Amino acid sequence: MMGEKLLFENVSKIYGEGDNKVIALDNISLNVKAGEFVAIVGPSGSGKSTFLSIAGALLSPSKGRLLLDDEDITTLSPKELTRVRLEKIGFVFQSSNLVPYLTVRDQLLLLSELLGKQDKKTVKKADELLSHLGLGHRANHLPEALSGGERQRVAIARSLMNDPEIILADEPTASLDSKRGRDVVEMLAHEVKSRNKAAIMVTHDERMLDLCDRVVNITDGKVFG
Amino acid sequence: MFLAIRELKHSKLRYLLIGLIMVLVALLVFIISGLANGLSSDNASSIQNMKADYFVMEHDSKNKLNRSIISMEKLDEIRASADVKAAEGLGQMMITLNKIGSSEKTDVTIFATDASGILAPKVIEGTNYDNKKQGEVVADRSLKEVGYKLGDSLKDDLSDKVFTIVGFTEKQSYSHSPVVYMNVKGWQEINPALKNQEKDSISTIAVQMDSKAEENVRESLPEGVTLISKEESLQSIPGYKEEQGTLKMMIAFLFVIAGFVLAVFFYVITLQKTNQFGVLKALGANTGYLAKSIVGQVMLLAVTCIAISVALTYGVTLIMPEGMPFELSADLVIKYSVLLLVVSVLGSLLSLYRVAKIDAIEAIGRVS
Repeated sequence: MMGEKLLFENVSKIYGEGDNKVIALDNISLNVKAGEFVAIVGPSGSGKSTFLSIAGALLSPSKGRLLLDDEDITTLSPKELTRVRLEKIGFVFQSSNLVPYLTVRDQLLLLSELLGKQDKKTVKKADELLSHLGLGHRANHLPEALSGGERQRVAIARSLMNDPEIILADEPTASLDSKRGRDVVEMLAHEVKSRNKAAIMVTHDERMLDLCDRVVNITDGKVFG
Repeated sequence: MFLAIRELKHSKLRYLLIGLIMVLVALLVFIISGLANGLSSDNASSIQNMKADYFVMEHDSKNKLNRSIISMEKLDEIRASADVKAAEGLGQMMITLNKIGSSEKTDVTIFATDASGILAPKVIEGTNYDNKKQGEVVADRSLKEVGYKLGDSLKDDLSDKVFTIVGFTEKQSYSHSPVVYMNVKGWQEINPALKNQEKDSISTIAVQMDSKAEENVRESLPEGVTLISKEESLQSIPGYKEEQGTLKMMIAFLFVIAGFVLAVFFYVITLQKTNQFGVLKALGANTGYLAKSIVGQVMLLAVTCIAISVALTYGVTLIMPEGMPFELSADLVIKYSVLLLVVSVLGSLLSLYRVAKIDAIEAIGRVS
């Protein structure tokens, strides 16, 4: 089990009942190791988002088991799941979803604030992360002043702030042109490798797949590859 | 407060506007309460300041002083009760006085009582009236402010009796008219209601006693009279209840309005931020943290606005015209400030409910 950051064991997700039953995920097993960057591809409605929501502890599976960092999170209460998300999972959302009234530095500090340990050390850590991702000069700007690529870089920095076990990216390049999109994914891949984190990226963009270690195809709720 | 303060700073205009509404509503609350208090004492300070806890009234008087007539003998009976600390007779009537040597007329309320008894007015200028000598009166200071002086003679049109002002007292008004004190004999002579009464009479008997003794005294009352509290007697002053009721109702409505305005404002803002709250929850913020943030904002806003209103209220009192009945005690300001704060926080509950319902999954693209 060593080195396995995320493990799906026969996970199914079923919405509705009877005639309205929709099988979003059908008996999926998958594992992601430390330092591994996995891409999830598949057509619309194939179950990618459901997969990511379950991996992100936002949704509970109907069947099967989910282990995050060797901890079974299938049976945790919503409150405990919130804690798991805060401590162990870093999110990069589709359109970055930064808080509009927080400066770039505060976006990162918010994560320490939620953990309940905001101090000089966390400020230093946030500044280091930002300058590492080439955003040092933007630390006091609001998201509205940033370009799309910069916002996604802030989102990546934010996802790393609490030193999570796994990073989940939901179409991080959707709102970017291909050049900037590639820069962002490269950066994500680099951070995952250098920090020995696990990462899952849901994407439509096939041009990014060469940056990933493994490509998993989801179609009609089933995994291929 | 991390999020609360940063958002307030960022969306200044939005919170400035709602703050302005809060300031105005709170200002209105304070001004109307000041006015209600001022009018109350302008109306009835003579009763409010009277050293009496209860009043004995004629049974069929409907608690109205001008209808009540009690024979003087009953005063001795009341005084005889062991529960009664002190009691004094009071005669009351409303008349119009004519200043001799001018065409000026003034409506006043006559209070007649023993010049050395517990109800005797505190003379601040001149001397007190004499129990034996007829024609001496002590008038409220407000008469002085409209031009009356010590030694002025006043004539009662109805009885043609003439009175001389020998002294002034203060804070004595009844039903918005100044009170003029005289001895009981003088009052009995000019009161037309007593013409056919044989006995020596008064309007009411003011009683000093403990509220615990109320039942005892009530049971041992002489025939034909009833016992009412000071508050009840205030309520029966002509116009008092109506005047205070209207203002109190306005104040109550203002509290409701303040609560609703804040509730709606924060609810709409919360609806607007549904997606943002979803993201925050996905990142690991629990509902408690977000709730604290909203309540923090509401409290910060409310406290600031109330403080500004209090300052403005005292500013407004400085430019109020002289003689405007306005009285605001620190007690009342504190009480209403706390109440406004409570109402504001109650108003934010709707938003908290909304936030609690938001699912973190809203942060992920297209999940149903």
